[in-house]
Amino acid sequence: MTIKPRALVLTGFGLNCDHETAYVFEQAGAAAHRVHINALIAGDVRLDAFQILVFGGGFSWGDDHGAGVIQALRLKTNLGDQLQAFVAAEKLVMGICNGFQTLVNLGLLPGLDNDYTRRCVALIHNDCGNFQDRWVNLAVNPASPCVFTRNMATLALPVRHGEGKFYTDEATLQTLVGGNQIALQYALPDGTPADGRFPHNPNGSLMDIAGICDPTGRVFGLMPHPEAYHHFTHHPDWTRRLDLYRRQGRALESTRGEGLQLFENAVGYFG
Amino acid sequence: MTGGLVFYRNNVDMPKRIEITLKPNLVDPEGESLRHKAGDYFGINLEAVRTVQIVTIDAVLSDDQMERARDAIFTNPVTQISAFSPLPMDFDQMIWVGFRPGVRDNPGATAVEALEDLLRIRLKPGEAVYTSKRYCLKGRGLSRPDAEKIAGALLANDIIQQWRVYTPDQWDPKTGVGIIIPKVILNHTPEVKTLSIDSDETLARLSHERNLSLHPNDIPVIRAYFLDPDVKRQRQAVGLCDPTDVELEYISQGRSDHCNHNTFGGRFFYQDLETGEQETLTSLFKTCIEKPTLSLKEKKPWVVSVLWDNAGVGRFDENTFYTITGETHNSPSTMEAYGGSITGIVGVYRDPMGTGKGSRLIMGSYGFCVGPRDYSGDLTPHLHPRRLLDGVIEGVRDGGNKSGIPTPFGQVTFHPGYLGKCLVFVTALGIMPAEINGEPSDQKTILPGDQVVMCGGRVGKDGIHGVTASSATFSAHTPAGHVQIGDPYTQKKMQDFLLEARDAGLIRFITDNGGGGLSSSVGETARCSNGCEIRLETVPLKYDGMDPWEIWISESQERMTVAVDPRNLDRFMALSRKHAVESTVIGTYTDTGKLHITYNGVTCAYVDLSLLTANFPKWEFDAVWQSPEHRGLTEPVLGMPEKMADLILDMLSRPNICSKAWIARQYDHEVQGTSVIKPLVGKDRDIPTDAAVIRPVLSSSRGLVFSQALIPTYSAIDAWHMAACTIDEAVRRAISVGGDPDHLGGVDNFCWPAIQYDPAKNPDGRHKAAQLVRACKAMEKMCLTYGIPLLSGKDSMYVDGHLSGRYGETHKVSALETLQFSVTGVIADVFQCMTLSAKMPGDRVWVVGMTQNELGGSEFYEHFGYIGLNVPKVDPEGFFALYQRVAAAGKKGLLASCHGVYRGGLAIHLAMVAMAGDLGMDVDLSKIPASGVDRDDTLLFSESAGRFIVTVPPDHEPAFSALMKDFPAACVGVVTEMPMLSITGTHGKNLATLTMEQMKMAFNAPFGNLI
Repeated sequence: MTIKPRALVLTGFGLNCDHETAYVFEQAGAAAHRVHINALIAGDVRLDAFQILVFGGGFSWGDDHGAGVIQALRLKTNLGDQLQAFVAAEKLVMGICNGFQTLVNLGLLPGLDNDYTRRCVALIHNDCGNFQDRWVNLAVNPASPCVFTRNMATLALPVRHGEGKFYTDEATLQTLVGGNQIALQYALPDGTPADGRFPHNPNGSLMDIAGICDPTGRVFGLMPHPEAYHHFTHHPDWTRRLDLYRRQGRALESTRGEGLQLFENAVGYFG
Repeated sequence: MTGGLVFYRNNVDMPKRIEITLKPNLVDPEGESLRHKAGDYFGINLEAVRTVQIVTIDAVLSDDQMERARDAIFTNPVTQISAFSPLPMDFDQMIWVGFRPGVRDNPGATAVEALEDLLRIRLKPGEAVYTSKRYCLKGRGLSRPDAEKIAGALLANDIIQQWRVYTPDQWDPKTGVGIIIPKVILNHTPEVKTLSIDSDETLARLSHERNLSLHPNDIPVIRAYFLDPDVKRQRQAVGLCDPTDVELEYISQGRSDHCNHNTFGGRFFYQDLETGEQETLTSLFKTCIEKPTLSLKEKKPWVVSVLWDNAGVGRFDENTFYTITGETHNSPSTMEAYGGSITGIVGVYRDPMGTGKGSRLIMGSYGFCVGPRDYSGDLTPHLHPRRLLDGVIEGVRDGGNKSGIPTPFGQVTFHPGYLGKCLVFVTALGIMPAEINGEPSDQKTILPGDQVVMCGGRVGKDGIHGVTASSATFSAHTPAGHVQIGDPYTQKKMQDFLLEARDAGLIRFITDNGGGGLSSSVGETARCSNGCEIRLETVPLKYDGMDPWEIWISESQERMTVAVDPRNLDRFMALSRKHAVESTVIGTYTDTGKLHITYNGVTCAYVDLSLLTANFPKWEFDAVWQSPEHRGLTEPVLGMPEKMADLILDMLSRPNICSKAWIARQYDHEVQGTSVIKPLVGKDRDIPTDAAVIRPVLSSSRGLVFSQALIPTYSAIDAWHMAACTIDEAVRRAISVGGDPDHLGGVDNFCWPAIQYDPAKNPDGRHKAAQLVRACKAMEKMCLTYGIPLLSGKDSMYVDGHLSGRYGETHKVSALETLQFSVTGVIADVFQCMTLSAKMPGDRVWVVGMTQNELGGSEFYEHFGYIGLNVPKVDPEGFFALYQRVAAAGKKGLLASCHGVYRGGLAIHLAMVAMAGDLGMDVDLSKIPASGVDRDDTLLFSESAGRFIVTVPPDHEPAFSALMKDFPAACVGVVTEMPMLSITGTHGKNLATLTMEQMKMAFNAPFGNLI
């Protein structure tokens, strides 16, 4: 049996999805470690001992001065070189919600022209003006190099954010389209594009963008929370589904949720 | 050279300001939200609103450092523009809003962290960053009074904020708003005052002057202590004679109703005028809460720890305990809705954190009681209910979301009684390992020599004497500290730290700093070791110049007090530094029997800890009960409505019934990955659930159910039945989603108007006192019969306000006697959980439980402006037997859906089941199990307790029917494909037909434009 890839899930300073994110990586077959940002900066834990770096959800530094901005600043100031080396070593980086916001402020996304320091896309306040917790339908770009969304077509996940509107200039947007870096888009229940319509597109993101990757597909950020759909009973319709199974005389085959696949893809990359 | 240096120093020393705004092509959601509110709330038409953030840096930084900060921290190159000079913005009116001195500026604080990190510097004491905003309003004919209205009634609250309005001709584009530094400067040398108590009158006068709120009966006891020759001799030895201000403030805190629960521990002389029955109750707490709970603890092995710690403790599974408590934050929220409610939710989260050796927070809930949102009467509450509700919603949102704690349940009740004072209920649940390093996690102790450590935030003049602190003495640098703004970020860091410290075995004892501050937390914990020595000068302060007594009783938030074994102190402090949490040793626990406080080495308090537990006289209340009939209440004379469909639709639109989905959607209810039953359920996820279920241990399929209920309108008839029905509803809510009747824990939160009789100020005090006695007795009866130990509870009295009317007169507005009751329990397997939505056409619709002629206090009567007399009554023994059958049916998988019947009665709740399923229903009223009801409107709108609506797949009906044998339950109809609720009257003819579209419109539209 191969050695489990080691996943580092950042904690501290207002981050808050670390327990479930680490749990889901464990379920997916990784060895997950919750590591305080200061432990990494102090060198108590070494980044190069890991294969997957996860920026999870939360409100780092209260999200004051822009979601993910101060977290990005702290990491860039204290660990900038290590982060660049991590990416250069062809390891995986994942940013979920606040983590996605941090990745774009760090410049690790979209990573155009092999430059992993430039801020050229942003995640800004939802057009609706408020924090929203609701489930969305997502369509996966089958042509994307994204490692995390391999072999997936659609999935449903919860969004939980106030600043998730993807924004950039037209030229950058076209570059992202051309490189198939737009890995995930908000969709209607039938999988067709949400086309900006609230609440299917919950924040007003350009081109319904929910998640992007770098040109290699190894750095990935998304606003929805895949770690919050690792169990059958997470889905809002689970009681209805289970009722239907019972009437059909079917047993529930698995208690897993669709979101788990993203993490298994990450672990599978090292398989 | 020197001159140049001086010039340079001046330039650098000058505070600097950065203005930031979104690029013009981007939508400004905050501006848009303000534009909508100005139109919706005041009819002020704005064409555009753009916001500018202002960051004022009061620190010695070079131009280069400033430029780097502007670039890296304060400006997003993709979306924002910024400048050190005022940004040129187009406006017709402009509003600037900033904090008053001493108000918590969370973005200002995180900006300091970012600056220090980026520039690798440390800001000096007194240096700080302040944030403020300006709103640039465009609108044809927009007047200065319009802008002042928006500023004063939407954007700023004078209690915590200052604001200015500029017209274009008053605006200097070079200086802008200027450099505004809301810095606290006290210019005060701290001192300890000795206070003479030569007579009872002197102490009474001191109590009045210093806002000590000492009860007149306590005054001789306090004096007797200080005049005792032994005490005098001991005090002389440490250099004290008369009591100091620190000591009297400590006693005042310890004797306050908040800390001491004098009302629930008081003596009630209860008299029933009708029966002539008289009874003296020596303590409602002992009789109605402690006694039933302790007797149930004997029978329920899952009850771990109750009645003493910050929260109650129950067993979740073999290896895990859960903790639960509930609080209110009414007065502060009434004054400053956002600050009050965020401080409330963040504050209640510290209770489970300080329970046992500390638990991790797993969920919170809210209950808001406010005046009518569209109130347009003559009374002028400090905040209009609409604004107040907006504020409390936002406060709980930020407090919960930024803490990373899901908020999967909550309720809102509108009633004019809450115009005087609103209610903000906040409830918190936590979880902890049953054992920590081989020792039970719920138990804790303190040994002499343990260090007293204060963790978290710093101390300022916050919350001193609560909201009684005068606001009349505001100056430019006076701290506006009596209403605070919670800081979930600082507290989240502290929680992460404390959990790691707990697991490392570094915590001997932990408790939170809430009401009373250190005075309460240290004063109470010192009883464990029987003494402490505190060095007040070591307490980290927000600013200089605080008197020792202020440091001692300050209620500054986000602080915990921890007892640490001196051998573990270094590890504890190292861990604190890793988490960027400030922890300070402020003293030592001893076994001297004394609370000994020094300031710079000089004793300023030396009091026997036993003083506060000594025999202070009980508070006493006269409670006189007159039955509703005696008070003249009757049923209204109301003819049968003819347009039943219209009536049902209008009932669905009533504020207390209709959808408040906009609130639930703002609250993260899925963080931690534990969500099982969400706040909004149904096919379109738009119908409020009966209760929430979470699965707090990710590797387990066990669940924790949580529900709560609030039905204050029944108190207008009889608070006995209000309490019984409230508890019954909370229980049925839990059962409806799959709760286990054998594991139900309760949390009682009483909010009552003043009950002390006064012929002029509180002429109906004796009635309100009798209502409290009756509610407590009903609770005792309900808890014993349903088997609900009270895991935790709090009371908040004085829910009254004095509001000005049209002619400058004032009116005392008292809230209805209100009990929020919360229920929690363990569900063995979450796959047994149910929702209320109809699942499949052809399923049989059953109504379980008896419908009676009980419209008193109902939503139906309220719709017509009546109260009535026939309030719903609970038959605890009969109901609970039925609930066990319903729960058994759910557990066996016989039910496709399950829903309790609550406010609004069957008409409303049949509609809920249909709407949630997006399916129709044919219902025949003649089939409904009923007793003493001869009218269709009564069948439809009676709020009889003890009822459910369930849908049953046809092949399960025989088994379900067998379970229901001997109970009032019947099949009343069928679920249909056609999305219509069709109701046949008892006369056999169609009474009402409602389409799905009509029902959803009626239910969703009233607050449908809110996000």
